[in-house]
Order: sequence, then C-alpha cells, then structure tokens
Amino acid sequence: MEKSDFRWGYAIFVLLLLSILGFMAAGILSLFVGVNVNSLGGNVALIPIGGVIVGTDDSGFLFESVTASPDAIELIEKADKNPGIKAIVLEINSPGGSAVASEEIANAVRKTNKTTVAWIREVGASGAYWIASASDHIVANKVSITGSIGVIASYLEFPGLLEDYNVTYRRLVSGKYKDMGSPFKEMTDEEKAIFQQNLDLIRDYFVSEVAKNRNLSKKDVDKVANGLFYLGIQAKELGLVDEVGGKDEVIAYVEKKEGIKAEIVEYKKEKGLLEILGEIFSRQSFFVGRGIGSSLLDKGNLRIET
Amino acid sequence: MKRLNLPKERTFIGPALIWKRVAAFFIDITVINLVVFFPFRKLFRGIMPQDYSFAEAYGILSSTSYSGFLTSVSLVMSVLVIMYFYMMERKMAQTIGKMIMKVYVAGDNSGNNGPKAWQLLARNAVFIPMFPFILLWILDPLFMFFTKTNQRLSEILGKTRVVETYSLEQ
Repeated sequence: MEKSDFRWGYAIFVLLLLSILGFMAAGILSLFVGVNVNSLGGNVALIPIGGVIVGTDDSGFLFESVTASPDAIELIEKADKNPGIKAIVLEINSPGGSAVASEEIANAVRKTNKTTVAWIREVGASGAYWIASASDHIVANKVSITGSIGVIASYLEFPGLLEDYNVTYRRLVSGKYKDMGSPFKEMTDEEKAIFQQNLDLIRDYFVSEVAKNRNLSKKDVDKVANGLFYLGIQAKELGLVDEVGGKDEVIAYVEKKEGIKAEIVEYKKEKGLLEILGEIFSRQSFFVGRGIGSSLLDKGNLRIET
Repeated sequence: MKRLNLPKERTFIGPALIWKRVAAFFIDITVINLVVFFPFRKLFRGIMPQDYSFAEAYGILSSTSYSGFLTSVSLVMSVLVIMYFYMMERKMAQTIGKMIMKVYVAGDNSGNNGPKAWQLLARNAVFIPMFPFILLWILDPLFMFFTKTNQRLSEILGKTRVVETYSLEQ
C-alpha cells in the first residue's frame, strides 16, 4: 500500500471513529440532561398535567400516571424564562390529587408573565380544576369532566380486624389527639368534628382561590362547590370555563391574543438514564424492605385530596 | 525493476509559512464541523431555533437552565476535537489540513520519533473551553505572528513546531 493511501485511510478511520463517538455522546447527553431538547423550539409551550397530582415523584403511585408538582413547576418556570415562548398551554387530563401540590402548581401558573391557557381534555376536576382556574383562559371539551370543587379525606380503619385476630391496640399517647386518624381505633365524634372543620377550611380556601382566579364572587362559586362534577358544556354555562372546544380553539385564542402564528412545542420532564436506573433500584429496595403486609401498619395513610 | 541511484533532492526543514498554517487550520475546522460535530447539530437546533434574535439567543444561553447542558456539550465536543488532532498528529504528524498544505508537526528535540504524547496534548490544550485555557484563544495565535519560528504559545510550551520541507533547487 502506498504511504499516501495509508495516510488517507487512517484519516478516514479517525473521522469515522470520532463521528461514531459524537453520535454516542450526543445521545447520552440528551438522556442525562433531563430536558427534551428536540422540543425546545417554537413559541407556545404545551405542558401536560396528567394523572394524579402529587407533591413528589416518589409518592407511591408505582404504575399510575402522576404529575409531581416540582416537575410541573420547573417546566412552567422554564417556559416562562424562555423568551421565545409567548404562551403556555396546560394540557390537563387529571382527576386532581394533593391539595398542596395543586396549590403550588396553580401559584406557578399565576406567577408567569406569559399568556396561560388551560386545555381540559377528558378530566380536569378538583385539584386539576384549581390549576386550570389560575390560567387566563380555560377551554374544555363539551363532555370533559370538570369542576368537582371540594375536599376529600379518607383512611382505612380496621380495629375490628385486629379484634378478630385477638390483637390489642395499646394506646400510649402524650397529647390527646396524637393518634387521631390511627387505623387501629375508631374515630371519636370529637375527632371527626376536628377533621371536618379542617376539611371545611381547605374547601373554603379552595373556593376563595377559584373565585379570585376566575374573577367570580365567592358566593357564586360556593354554590357550585359541592363536589359535583360538571360536563364541559355545563361548566361553560356556569362560568367555570371560558370556551367549549379543543386544540384548535386553544391555538386560535393564543394566536389572537399574542398576534403570532402558534408553533406548539411540548415541554415535558424527560427521565435521564441515571434517574430511570435510580428509580428502579430504589423502588425495588423499597418493596423488598417494606413488604406488602407492613403497609397495613402504616400510620400515615390519611390523605387529603382535592 | 532496478532504479538508478540518483542524487537525492537537496532539501531543508524550516518553519511552515503562516498562510499555510492558517489554511490548514481552516480545512481542519471545516472537516471537524462537517463530520465530528454533525451529531450535535440536532441538539443545538433544538435549543436555538434559527429565527431567534441575538437578544433571545443570548437570553437562552445565559439562563441557568441551559448552562449545565451547554457546558457538558462543549466539553464533550472539545474532547472530540482534541482527539482528532492528537490521533492524527501522533500517528502521522499531520492532520487532514496539514496533509493538504504539506506541513507537519515536529517535536523540538524528538528527532525522527515525532512529538511525544504530552507535547501533542500541550499544543492542543487551546481547545479546552475552560479557564485558564480560554485565555489561549487570543494569546496563542498572536504569538505565531511575533516569533521567528512562527510558533504559537502552546507550541512553545509543548516544545513542538509546525514545519515544512523546502527544496534548495527552486
């Protein structure tokens, strides 16, 4: 082989090797950064709010679709900071969830300086409606399920089961209400009243927030805040949503309001390779360590949801 | 077939002409941009659409959300650039640009063995996008114009030089 042939052959080999390494590096980088870089162009950010709204990613919903408030807030803030994004569309398909997480996301929506639109698809009820109410404009399908303004708290109580198995709950507390909500004893009337009072307070705050966000009188919202859900068409009549429609109506609203040709880009939390692996290992360890039976002994099983 | 034992061409080795060096560098950068950086285009197109104004682009690049990502990408890209120069110069004392411009890298005291690994890494440290190496982006080429041997600062530090063969017959 001629010396110059070898030189060019080697040069081509080096370039091929480096371009392969480049493809691998670019692929790995896009996994590790946790940002879907393919979707960061455009002028209207579409942020999905799907499944149960929770406060953290590890809220125990293993196979259920969830929206963790820190992730949703991060995406909303990212879209808000991006000067190329003129409007933020929340694609809502959620029955609600944690009251705290819903309020956190609603606050983040209200704080943005961009036009915000809530697009309710199948369901935008309870906490999800709370979030929607914080946006500038709400669009829902005629048969979307929305509303359901109210608060629910529930927990399992099984003192009878313990009795059947001759297990005694030995109550040792310092502080009269310390074991309030314990599944091992029946709730007293006084405890029920305290819980109810707190739920009423949360509901009252929920109603106030919706009224403030929607510029409605609290009295009017209070009348429909009975936990009932409304179809999109009913919600429009009541004034809980602004427009009946779908994606086209959302785009039309944004284009008219901002005077732009809308180019929707999806903002979503991409799980990095390390995150996926970490999640698998941590959840496996969690279930191995905890066991299914021990979950019955979990004292903190009381959930307050909107 | 036997060949005549003709007298060899009388040559000497001297510092490469600056324009040849500059041309070789631009050829290399073009090749790197077309081939090695190709996979990264999609990444950059995603975060920086072409219709962005300077102010918008500056806003995005300076935002904390992207700084970590951009630092990681630029570091990986610089590693690939250094690998290109190192692999080519280690094996052949030439890059593609230098092959076309017929210049090559020589170590100051390396004789016929070519520059050593540390010398090649030192002369290519200019591609590391971190302080203090970024200072070399300005200082390094300036030295080339003010030294007799046309050496860059990193070449002086790494004891290498870019040379070419001159013929005495011309």
